[in-house]
Amino acid sequence: MEALVKVFPANDFSLLAVILCLPLIGAFINGVFGKRLGREGVTLMALAAVGGSFLAAVVSFLVLRQAQAGSEQAARLTYVAWDWLSVSGRHDLGSIPIKVAFSLDALNATMCLVVTGVGFLIHLYSTKYMEKDPGYHRFFAYLNLFIFSMLVLILGDSLPILFVGWEGVGLCSYLLIGFWFTDEKNAQAGKKAFIVNRIGDFGLLVAMALFVYHVGALDWIGIEGGRSRLLEPVKLWPIGNVVPLSSALPESAAAWLNTPRYVTAASLVGLALFLGCAGKSAQIPLYVWLPDAMAGPTPVSALIHAATMVTAGVYLVCRLSSVFVLAPAVMFTIALVGALTALLAASIAFAQNDIKKVLAYSTVSQLGYMFLGVGVGAFSAGFFHVVTHAFFKACLFLGAGSVIYAMHKRIHDTDTSQDMRKMGGMKKYMPVTFATFVGAWVAIIGFPGTSGFFSKDEILLKALTSQIQSPLPGGKITQMTRAGEQTVLELWQWPSWGNQVLFAMGVVGAVMTAFYMSRLVFGIFWGDFKGWTIKRKWKAPAHHDHDDHDHPHHHHDPDEPLEGPAPVESPWQMWLPLAVLAALSLGGGFLNAHLLHLHPMDDWLGPVFATAAQNVTAAEGGLSLVLAFGIGAFALGLGAAYWVYRLQGGEPARAFVERMPGLHRWAQDKFYVDEAYDEAVVESAAALADTAAAADKYVVDGIVAKLTSGVVQLAGAGLRFVQTGKVHTYAAVMVVGTAAVGWFLIAPHAQARTVHQSAGQYGVVAAPGFGYQYRWDTDGDGQWDSEEFSSQMQQDVTLGFGENKTLRLQVKNAFGRTAERSITVSRPKLDPTRGPATVIQIEQQPDGTVRGVLPGQQPTGGVQ
Amino acid sequence: MSALGYVLEHYVVLSALLFTIGAIGFLVRRNVLIQLMSIELMLNAINLLLVAYNRQHGGPMTGQLFAFFIIAVAAAEAAVGLAIILSYYRLKASVHSDEADALKH
Repeated sequence: MEALVKVFPANDFSLLAVILCLPLIGAFINGVFGKRLGREGVTLMALAAVGGSFLAAVVSFLVLRQAQAGSEQAARLTYVAWDWLSVSGRHDLGSIPIKVAFSLDALNATMCLVVTGVGFLIHLYSTKYMEKDPGYHRFFAYLNLFIFSMLVLILGDSLPILFVGWEGVGLCSYLLIGFWFTDEKNAQAGKKAFIVNRIGDFGLLVAMALFVYHVGALDWIGIEGGRSRLLEPVKLWPIGNVVPLSSALPESAAAWLNTPRYVTAASLVGLALFLGCAGKSAQIPLYVWLPDAMAGPTPVSALIHAATMVTAGVYLVCRLSSVFVLAPAVMFTIALVGALTALLAASIAFAQNDIKKVLAYSTVSQLGYMFLGVGVGAFSAGFFHVVTHAFFKACLFLGAGSVIYAMHKRIHDTDTSQDMRKMGGMKKYMPVTFATFVGAWVAIIGFPGTSGFFSKDEILLKALTSQIQSPLPGGKITQMTRAGEQTVLELWQWPSWGNQVLFAMGVVGAVMTAFYMSRLVFGIFWGDFKGWTIKRKWKAPAHHDHDDHDHPHHHHDPDEPLEGPAPVESPWQMWLPLAVLAALSLGGGFLNAHLLHLHPMDDWLGPVFATAAQNVTAAEGGLSLVLAFGIGAFALGLGAAYWVYRLQGGEPARAFVERMPGLHRWAQDKFYVDEAYDEAVVESAAALADTAAAADKYVVDGIVAKLTSGVVQLAGAGLRFVQTGKVHTYAAVMVVGTAAVGWFLIAPHAQARTVHQSAGQYGVVAAPGFGYQYRWDTDGDGQWDSEEFSSQMQQDVTLGFGENKTLRLQVKNAFGRTAERSITVSRPKLDPTRGPATVIQIEQQPDGTVRGVLPGQQPTGGVQ
Repeated sequence: MSALGYVLEHYVVLSALLFTIGAIGFLVRRNVLIQLMSIELMLNAINLLLVAYNRQHGGPMTGQLFAFFIIAVAAAEAAVGLAIILSYYRLKASVHSDEADALKH
């Protein structure tokens, strides 16, 4: 350990480069040489890259713990790769260097372990799941590239570097969602994810610009140090000083319109950042891409769209927690949006039959929980849910993948093989998958003692008790004006009812989660198998024995009963990750079990959130109430699902659907949000594109291009006559041209220019030439000053204000030919209104007094 | 003015005459070979002028040097020009410069 600390000093911690570069090398080698390496080579490369990265992350974690021990301050290990660029901010804030720098503190060290650890397990799983895919090496190249981008995102020491990783994971997500791109639906889903994310990225870019302008820093330390500058008011309205046309309105309306409206810069920054987070982490209104993203292979759904990438938004809020707490309104918005997303996604999950879709909406819902947590200022509780969610949701997705893998024995159609109405009774055939799935299931529904129980109840507790204080004690910002001190902005106060509302929404969400997740588990693992008729000693027809998704298989006639062997357990490469993740889902809660007074994670993250914690108040108590509600929610949801789907065999659900077919259809079709977006956003964008296309076709192509080509054609038609193509014509023209140039050179040219040397001093300088000699008439009497030509090229002239003078110049060249020209030099009149009026000359009088003299008062005009 | 009766003006006049003959020859004649010879004549007129002025002014041998450069360029020009004339003759079976207007059409 000592040796490690010596090899890797805290300010040049190059182990970070190792963590980052291994997956990048893996991606490069698998991407470029993957085809020649063969499957074994690709597997080895991909697993070694991520595994090595994980080991380096563990070592870094240990070094960081060593550095943190016994220190109140948050320990940091930094590594600067190179200086990238520098931007200039406001003049009083100086220029801002942007370095390609990475840093490790308690927050991203934990995240780094999760990403590389869970990433490694999912890589291992994929070696079997994707075994027969023709794009095997491409898949692992993308997956390694994703790990690299994700690590850049979390290890980056400044917002621009984070943004590079942010875009990188977006790209990998796009590539992997559309991995089987020959299917139009998958390609569309990839595009949708990418474009929706771009809306969020716009917010992130705006936030960066605001940081540059208001704070003058983009790295984490600089932002935290300069965050108080974000409390300055920013005028949002009116743009300019007066609303145009407001005089046409009634006086009261005009006055209302023209009242300046301010917000703090912190609110603007917070909202812009949250737009980015909502895009990446699939929150209202940008959640629509995540359910469609399930078009990718299942390991991708587990890694990118459940465990790691989608939690980047939560990570960013935690990372910039010190900035977010300056804007209580934004924090409340985040909490409210999170709670609403949790409810909306859970209600859609009720009506889905595709097991991956259920899990996708569950992910959206759980992400909502995380935002609810960080929104009320419980950053470490929210982040703890990120970690536990990574365990149990990755386990659930991989378990679902294992089931789908088994279903593919006979059903090759993607939609049907993921339909839980075709499954059932799997606990008999797939015992390991069943056991691990149940482990993750009890965690997500909050069975007491599991990781989900501790993390969710912690969020619920904080939702009830914690709130953000106003960052300024007085609660308002004032400004001195001519009319006296005026209040510019009254800061938003956390509402008294806010916590109760957020808590109630959280509890309802927990009930719904327990219900739909239990429905999923009962549908897959209990009951009878409905996929096909199980025959002993069934032999596969020869052409049925391969298993890839990327070309549509012969669809079975739905009427013809399908026969096949009993589904079997997946191989060890698939169930081993499941077992590890299930164990973590069950036991991970003890990292932060406040109920048992066991909270190493809170202690570990404490220093990182110390600044933000100054603005957060949490009431004491409420624990037993939350515990009662939490366990009650879990028991209610599970009990209801058990009654509906096990005891009654799903009868109440069918009856409910029959009674309210509209509501069910509405939920099944995701409340038609996609359709609404199509109508509102996509259609208007398409209309704009059509307009632009028409403008291009008729204005640019029709007028601009035609006009240019017409001019060129006309000029060509004229010039064509000159081009005879005969050598003699060209030779004759050349001779004439040469003769003209010769004539010009032989003739003398009397040219002169005037230069202003100093006040009233002018020089007239004759142009030089071959063998030139000059004579001057400087006094203007018509006689040459000297009859002899000389080589004197310059004459000096002195003039007073408003005077002018005419000189004559004669030039004789080497052939004795002469030319003449007269030159007039004039000096402008003294204009007292111009000139440097602000310059005051200080004069000392003979009697010792000192007085200032304005230039215009001086008796002589020697000012200019 | 040397003992050999060197008079600059004589050389200048001779050079101007040679150059004019070359220029007129180039403009008037239609045979490409003759035109090439006319160009050589003009170049040599310039050579003569350069050498004569160098002799007049003395000093470093810039003029002489330039004359050699022009001779070298003229040799290269003759080689390329004759090659063009040869392939032109193969194409059109003539060396008449008025017919060399393929690029016009």
